[in-house]
Amino acid sequence: MDAAQNSLTLHAINVPGRLRLPRLALPRGALVGLVGPNGAGKSTLLQIAAGLLPPGPGGRVTWESEPLEEISILDRGRRAAWVPQEAHFEFGFSVRAVVGQGRFAHGDDEAGVEAALTRLDLAALAHRPVNELSGGERHRVLIARALATDAPLQLWDEPLAALDPRHGLEVLMLARERASAGGTVVFSLHDLRVAHCLDHVVVLHDGEMHASGTPEAVLTPALLREVFRVRAETAPGLTLFLP
Amino acid sequence: MKAERDNKGRDGLPGRPSRAAKTAGPAVPPYLLIACAVLLVVGVVSLSVGEAGLTPSQLIDGLLRRDEFAAMVLWQIRLPRLLVGALVGAALAASGVVMQAFFRNSLASPGLLGVSSGGTAGAVVAIAIGATATSLWVLPLASIAGASLATFAVIGLARRGASTERLLLAGVALNALLGAITTYVLSAYERNTQILFWLLGGIEDRTWEHVAMVAPVVLVGALLWPLGRAMDLLALGPREAQSLGVDVRSLRRKLLAASTLLAALATAVAGTVGFVGLIVPHMLRLIVGPEHRRLLPLSLVAGAAFVVGCDVVGRLVGDLRLGIVTSLIGGPFFLWMLRKIV
Repeated sequence: MDAAQNSLTLHAINVPGRLRLPRLALPRGALVGLVGPNGAGKSTLLQIAAGLLPPGPGGRVTWESEPLEEISILDRGRRAAWVPQEAHFEFGFSVRAVVGQGRFAHGDDEAGVEAALTRLDLAALAHRPVNELSGGERHRVLIARALATDAPLQLWDEPLAALDPRHGLEVLMLARERASAGGTVVFSLHDLRVAHCLDHVVVLHDGEMHASGTPEAVLTPALLREVFRVRAETAPGLTLFLP
Repeated sequence: MKAERDNKGRDGLPGRPSRAAKTAGPAVPPYLLIACAVLLVVGVVSLSVGEAGLTPSQLIDGLLRRDEFAAMVLWQIRLPRLLVGALVGAALAASGVVMQAFFRNSLASPGLLGVSSGGTAGAVVAIAIGATATSLWVLPLASIAGASLATFAVIGLARRGASTERLLLAGVALNALLGAITTYVLSAYERNTQILFWLLGGIEDRTWEHVAMVAPVVLVGALLWPLGRAMDLLALGPREAQSLGVDVRSLRRKLLAASTLLAALATAVAGTVGFVGLIVPHMLRLIVGPEHRRLLPLSLVAGAAFVVGCDVVGRLVGDLRLGIVTSLIGGPFFLWMLRKIV
């Protein structure tokens, strides 16, 4: 893996009690899943990668081989988008206004906003106040806002957890498209059954990186038993696709 | 010309929020015009009513100094009172808007958080030790010092984005403590009649000096406007805002300085006038939505109209103090909000 190709690298991350990570490099154009039991450090990793939490003493984060601390905050808003796990809104901004906020760093509130609304099935809700939406709808608003930034690096904290099957698949498809177009999408997830459509899986356990690689190589029955304490078995069941 | 109209038509259609940001011309939005008209009306009423009622023609003659008695009443008593009231209202409402964005809580306001009480305590201490005799600017500066102290205390006690309960409890504690300091200082060093002024708020007997003291609030309000969009983002979450490109630390510093300054200047000339920073922003959000680029200018004008209106009501009902009128309106309103929010 050539360093110049890496979209995101994390070096010597050390946040006591939450995350220790010697090195993680994610290539451009990859769809990356972050898995691990509750409290494994997935959200912490995403926030460190987004520059929202300090990487700890000696730790270093780079985007496109550029140290994060040398990138201005405004510029970061154009280069990476972070979607939080909880979507709480105190004030009743319209859905459209919130998605338009994704354009803050670009200095406009138009470009790509309608497309993002349509893509996440929010066009009909565009004028509704965000604090009156359901949990899943609020999450879609946040993902639409992240899309509107048009940032090549997308860091999403459990984007699928609150979504119904249809919108979950849509978001997964969307992530795949972003990756195919050369962006990098990193997201945390709990549903290991969707892991097979990812390019790369990072397994976190008790604040340490346990494994990292292709889903086939990483998600072995032995690992699942050790990290997640579940027994894996392929059995006929319900598989969902977009029509 | 034609292109401009086409543009307007497109913006006017579905993209309602984009309109304010997009129109390049100096078109004043209608809600702002309405607020200005209301302010004008209550302003004229405020100049006309009082111990000596003035007819419209007397009012004009007085303002033009053609009628000596009316001119005296207007230029020495009522105009300073009107302007102080308007500026105090503008300052308190804008301060409320800023605090609510900062704490991401629509109950945050200078009165409830104890920032006004801090300003009052500062002002009263400065008066008691005789410092205010030295310069006109000592009083507002002392008020700013007291209000800043209260602001830092609230932040220390409640933290940003804290729960409503924590925020309000911090405010209760600070209000009690700072109110006690004010009462003690006034009863020990000053005439007791002053206690009424500082604790219940008022704008009677204000002079042009007081107008000058509180006038900078207009400047502070204008400086806030360019931060409106970043405030929108902050109001929905500091981490999200930071990830979208807002320098949250610097923005917060500016907002804190502005909200404290606004509340302190208002307090320096009018004592503790409660609930304005709570009621006005909330009502305006119901009418024009939460976007700060609309909310900030509107809160200045509507806050001014609200306080001048309350003052007129107080005078008409029979010399009710301004702070009592705002509290009589604000108390029930606050309880209604509590029922809705908590």
